[in-house]
Amino acid sequence: MSTEQPLLQVRSVSKTFGVTRALTDVSLEVGAGEIHSLLGRNGAGKSTVVNIIAGIYAPTTGEVLFDGVDIRQLSIFQRQSLGIRLVPQHENSFQDLSVAENIFTGVLPTRGAFVDWKTIHREAAAELASYGLHVDPKTPVRELSSIDARKLNIIRAMHSGAKLIILDEPTTALTSRERAELFQFVRALQERGTAFIFISHYLGEVRELSKSITVLRDGRAYSVDNVAEASEAYLGNLVAGEDVELTMRDASTAPGAAATFVEASGLTGEHLDDVSLSIRKGEILGVVGFPGSGAREFCRTLAGVNRREAGTVTIDGRPVSLANPQNAIRNGIAYISYDRHREGILPSFDINENIGVAGHGGKLRTLGGFVNLALQKQLSRDYRDELKIKSNSIFEPMESLSGGNQQKVIVGRALNIDPRLLILDEPTVGIDIKSREEIISTVLRLTREGMSTIYLTNDYEELLRVADRLVFFDDGEIVAVLDNNDITIDELIAIRDRAKETA
Amino acid sequence: MTFNETSAIALKESFAPKKFLDFAMNQAVWILLVLAIVVMGIFRPSFYSFGILSNILVQATVLGLLAIAISMVIILGDINLSTVGTAGFSALSGVLAMKSGLPVILSILLILVVGSLIGLVNGLIVTKLKANALITTLAMNMVLMGALLAITGGTSISQLPDSYKFVSQSNIGGFPILPIVMFAVFALFYVIWQRTRFGRALFAVGGNPRGAYIAGINVDRVKIGAYVVSGLLCGLAGWLLSGYMGAVTSSFGSSYEMQVIAAAVIGGVSLTGGKGSMQGVLAGTLLLTVIQVGLAILGIPQTLITLAGGLMIFAAVLIDALRNLYNSRV
Repeated sequence: MSTEQPLLQVRSVSKTFGVTRALTDVSLEVGAGEIHSLLGRNGAGKSTVVNIIAGIYAPTTGEVLFDGVDIRQLSIFQRQSLGIRLVPQHENSFQDLSVAENIFTGVLPTRGAFVDWKTIHREAAAELASYGLHVDPKTPVRELSSIDARKLNIIRAMHSGAKLIILDEPTTALTSRERAELFQFVRALQERGTAFIFISHYLGEVRELSKSITVLRDGRAYSVDNVAEASEAYLGNLVAGEDVELTMRDASTAPGAAATFVEASGLTGEHLDDVSLSIRKGEILGVVGFPGSGAREFCRTLAGVNRREAGTVTIDGRPVSLANPQNAIRNGIAYISYDRHREGILPSFDINENIGVAGHGGKLRTLGGFVNLALQKQLSRDYRDELKIKSNSIFEPMESLSGGNQQKVIVGRALNIDPRLLILDEPTVGIDIKSREEIISTVLRLTREGMSTIYLTNDYEELLRVADRLVFFDDGEIVAVLDNNDITIDELIAIRDRAKETA
Repeated sequence: MTFNETSAIALKESFAPKKFLDFAMNQAVWILLVLAIVVMGIFRPSFYSFGILSNILVQATVLGLLAIAISMVIILGDINLSTVGTAGFSALSGVLAMKSGLPVILSILLILVVGSLIGLVNGLIVTKLKANALITTLAMNMVLMGALLAITGGTSISQLPDSYKFVSQSNIGGFPILPIVMFAVFALFYVIWQRTRFGRALFAVGGNPRGAYIAGINVDRVKIGAYVVSGLLCGLAGWLLSGYMGAVTSSFGSSYEMQVIAAAVIGGVSLTGGKGSMQGVLAGTLLLTVIQVGLAILGIPQTLITLAGGLMIFAAVLIDALRNLYNSRV
């Protein structure tokens, strides 16, 4: 037992949002130069822990110590200057600035009144070389590959003196080969004394990279001090939990090929190149692909969000225009965006109207352009009960709800148009596990009654649990369509990577 | 006991005063309006005469219509700075047509059509060309005011027929018609904002245009509709004001220019969009008019009126800012 003090100590932290309990009595320690993994599924509480460490949320109870000092009262910026750096999942670099400018962000060296470009480029080149990233410091970040952009984000953190770098799901959108490269990069920094918190969905990569793990499930922490001694089955049980009842798709309900409902042929547009696919009545079609592969673009084109440059879509044999979301909704296609805040929540409306709004042009429409307010109220109450939305009344503002309940409202809005095709784009990101299962079980029930669903998620465990068929996208094309019969996560990842790496 | 627990208890204990503060913050304008009327009455008991009170309502009508017009666009998160110019130019075109022989009723209709068309042009530029609403409508206002000045050549066009001035100048049972028009329009727009699909879409677009689009709202059409209705209301205000004054002047309506935004914003229509109510706009309109008429009755010199107008807009911005701060704090 070392007497050395851990770099980071999180002690019995709990966090509640309104009526929702996000974390219960979570403790974890990270030593200097250690890679500590945070493992758990969407909604398990990983992001909440990280946000508490980085200073975005304050814990409801419990302590956070860094270098032995209580940092609860410090702002996110003060914590950054202590050396705590969060590298988010989404690229947070300035895409149109050069690599060098991104490294020096905020504190560009000057000579007199002017920015000293010579020094910046020289020092940036030296820094990049020392970390083994071989790119020209003058390159705009937009032109970097996704693996280099990720390394750059870590180098930015190192440049500002990071002692603890939190990597939030850094391997999403990376192939296995790129992932190995990233791990090598992280290990090299670790050997120089930098500590990491590594966040992941997946058991395999966590075992590969780190010695100690904290598994989060339903807001509770289970620590595993020596990964080598824990069996994979044991870890798997910790992540999944035997006590949570997971909703499973009954394979026997999968519709056959004869039940074609939506027929897309020759779809062409941004990141879509002549894509043809038929969607069956009552099936859940899982969509897999990296960003820019066409997976999300396929979803958004059918939803009328992305413009279609060529190709046709027919529903029940009848061609439809899908020129905008309004037209898609009129044709019974509902879309739930991955970006709940920008493309979902309407902050000027209460829960009631957030559920009703997509039906204003449909079944809530009355003569003379009025909205049927009585029916809207009744339907909102029905969806609140069905989806178990936790709120005092349907007239509360959206901001009073937890992320999971906000998402249920958005799901309620989509279901309110009585969709024949429901398109779910990352429907379970940032929501608690219970909300997730409630949403999934509602979707399963409705597909059994004949609704078709397109399901896009990076949580492959979840995807394999619900999908009847899987379609793989790469470079704007469909590379494989498979029935979901006993496919494992590893097989799924292998198929996904094969397309990209042989291209 | 941790910091968070103590603050939670403190919040609970302050619940009764908090409720009062909530009420005061949300009804601030009505409270100020009552206060203003009481204060005026203390200084000048004659303030409570039927003549002065009905005069306030008459004065408030044009401002009220223009305030609704601008609110239609502010609720979207845009701004329409061309309300006064639209009112003046459309009144001018109707009056000129009437002078050259168009029947009165058709001339009035023409005013409304011209106002709507100006709104349509604003709307098309802002949505289809994605131009900035502030600059677009500012330019539109300068063009319209400039045209008014150029066409009238700095003179007034007066001697309008009585039938044209009937609504603006007549009484029913001793009560002027103008305020009746104002209250009717406020009631109509209350219903439009609260109960119609178009009205609710205005709020959705103002709160989150991208989200509204994904939820199936035709954002461009809603915006264009709002600008057209805004222009129509400006036309209506232009007709009533020219009827009331009995003339179209070269500086037609310019005394309203500052007050229009102030009335809407004091009334709680948030400049960031998505928030506001017709009751609020009515309260803002009445408050500004009471102060305006009150200052005149109290004998404040004309030379100070601009200063008073500026201070009023400041008050509007401060009230709006305080209310937003207060609401985001809770």
